[in-house]
Amino acid sequence: MKLNRRVFVGTGIAAASALSAPMVQAASHGKPKVVVVGGGAGGATAARYIAKDSAGEIDVTLIEPTRSYYTCFFSNLYLGGFWELENLSHSYGKLASDYGINVVHDWATGVDRDAKTVSLAGGGTVPYDRLILSPGIDFVEGSVPGWDLSAQNAMPHAYKAGSQTELLKAQIMAMPEGGTYVMVAPPNPYRCPPGPYERISMVAHQLKMNNPTAKIIIADPKEKFSKQALFEEGWQKHYSGMVERIGPDFGGGNVTVDPAAMTVNIDGEVVKADVVNVIPAQKAGLICDAAGLTDGNWAPVDGASMVSRLDENIHILGDATNQGDMPKSGYSANSQAKVAAMAVRGALTGSRVFPAKYSNTCWSLIATDDGVKVGAAYEPNEEKIASVSSFVSQTGEDAAMRKATYEESIGWYEGITADMFG
Amino acid sequence: MAHISGMFLSVVGGAALVLGTAYGWTAREYRSAELDVLTERLVQLESSNAEWSKRAEATAELEAKLTALETELATAVQALEEARRAPVAAVAEPEAQPETIVADAGDPSFGDPARGETVFGQCRSCHQIGQGAEDRIGPHLNGIFGRRAGAHDGFRYSDDMAMMGADGLTWEIETLDAYLENPKALVSRTRMNFAGLKDQQDREDILAYLRQFSASPQNIPEAAPTAQAREVELAPEVLALVGDTDYGEYLASECKTCHQQDGSDQGIPSITQWPTEDFVVAMHAYKRQIRPHPVMQMMASRLSDEEIAALAAYFAQLQ
Repeated sequence: MKLNRRVFVGTGIAAASALSAPMVQAASHGKPKVVVVGGGAGGATAARYIAKDSAGEIDVTLIEPTRSYYTCFFSNLYLGGFWELENLSHSYGKLASDYGINVVHDWATGVDRDAKTVSLAGGGTVPYDRLILSPGIDFVEGSVPGWDLSAQNAMPHAYKAGSQTELLKAQIMAMPEGGTYVMVAPPNPYRCPPGPYERISMVAHQLKMNNPTAKIIIADPKEKFSKQALFEEGWQKHYSGMVERIGPDFGGGNVTVDPAAMTVNIDGEVVKADVVNVIPAQKAGLICDAAGLTDGNWAPVDGASMVSRLDENIHILGDATNQGDMPKSGYSANSQAKVAAMAVRGALTGSRVFPAKYSNTCWSLIATDDGVKVGAAYEPNEEKIASVSSFVSQTGEDAAMRKATYEESIGWYEGITADMFG
Repeated sequence: MAHISGMFLSVVGGAALVLGTAYGWTAREYRSAELDVLTERLVQLESSNAEWSKRAEATAELEAKLTALETELATAVQALEEARRAPVAAVAEPEAQPETIVADAGDPSFGDPARGETVFGQCRSCHQIGQGAEDRIGPHLNGIFGRRAGAHDGFRYSDDMAMMGADGLTWEIETLDAYLENPKALVSRTRMNFAGLKDQQDREDILAYLRQFSASPQNIPEAAPTAQAREVELAPEVLALVGDTDYGEYLASECKTCHQQDGSDQGIPSITQWPTEDFVVAMHAYKRQIRPHPVMQMMASRLSDEEIAALAAYFAQLQ
């Protein structure tokens, strides 16, 4: 089964065209059905590309509980005061009206892989010929002792955007003069590798303007982190003396919290804080586990088409996957969605399938007009999606280049959200 | 702007006047009178708006005339200078060299600055170089080696040139060579209206000449091979490739994460409806790392000639 798939996708255009005709599947009645669970950078993009490129030949249903989607990417800019919350919000209206996608606002609670149906929290099931899961992340229970979801109001994660982001911002703005903000940073792998550190930059920017004697402490279980040299240079330059990072050598990985007392115990030292931002360890969105598609915390996929290694009719995208070298980012999910969309169309309608190419770039804002980026190109091999080339901004770049990088990141935001939502 | 905000102030003033004198009116009468005043002002504003557009058109016309006159002037100045220099050169010592001159010409096989001066003749109508050189239609070229593109203070560059500069394009031997060979290969919508120097010897000579007016001899390689290896000159068969638009459409999905399908350009340039050749040449310039942008270099580095052709074909036909 798996071998067939590898041969199919791996041998390129000619073989794909030859094989595609017999692989066309007639659905039980009428058009083939694709169901997409999760309307973020992976799911919305996949739904839109399948609907757009199949020109009505495939019936696409998108299941997403929220009516307004708040992008997690750029939500740090809202914390920093650079963006309004509305800038992050997007509706699914065009996917329904311009692309004919059946948008269902409900929770997908389970998958019957034999019957090929998805069950909904609101009752009923939705049948599929191909299923695409793009559920993002959920948190590993007990990863930060003392914290669970019931504590997310006292100690927000703000690692799924929306009300949590608003809450964290309100708490930052309400900090007493000279107060303390503590971030409990997550262990690898997690969503958006530079995200926690961009957040530190944005919180520092906000505090520098409104509460310049406030302090920021990061308890970090990781030796090193994404764009570390760039962030540390920026913190020194813009927020000197404000940010203290406690790495694993100094017990940054040995943390418990007490949400009632608003204290953080870092390797035996108790810190009383005004804001505690707990970003717990992460795992694939719950539906992956419910569908039996995970191995450990993540869902393994074949990089040739993002198909699950455990079910040939289910593709999995984005943060939830274990695919290889790509970081868990909105850009990656969007890139993976296009490969999966092409593979799904090829399997269901016999359209041409080309070899997969992936890419990612993560922009981060350190201070006003001080943007940096890191990126890489990827291609799949038998084992994983592997990095083939990469770049990263350099320390000491001049102001013009940093400003251009920031402006480019705004352009990217406009581009990817148009690519997701039409 | 001052004019327009003045008009708005007088609208507010007029409404206040009506309110003051008509205190006893019913609300509806007052509203109606207010509406009349506002409508009248609106008509006035519209006509003044039309007036402004006319003036803007006239200004643009004048600017175009000015540019034409500048070109004429520069040509005349160049002719005068040549006429002045010719007899002097025959009898006198060469003029004192500018301070920035590099005494050692480096590897003599690289280029002949004397011949380069002659080749530079075709640039003089727009660019000055040497002592007292000023910006004309193009910026002066003293100290061009090592200078960031689009970054010479006080000169108004095209948006594309400014963007390339912000992306990190610096004038070094390789980048100048590529730019002189085909300006659009490096900066798609440059204001420099010049077809390019196709002859490699011409370029080497002119670069050897330009180099005398820059203080950065370390930018000059010992020999030419580095420059040759990075040329953007494309074989005719590469330019002649006809792209597979289906394949282009798939590959383009990767571009559309940043470049918008509808051609809007907020912070990231539009890439739709380019002439195919410009697109192909620009992508190869990224692939060979002559254009500076790191994301574009990464994207282009793994595209084959056929894949670049496919992308060009797809984006050219996009509505």
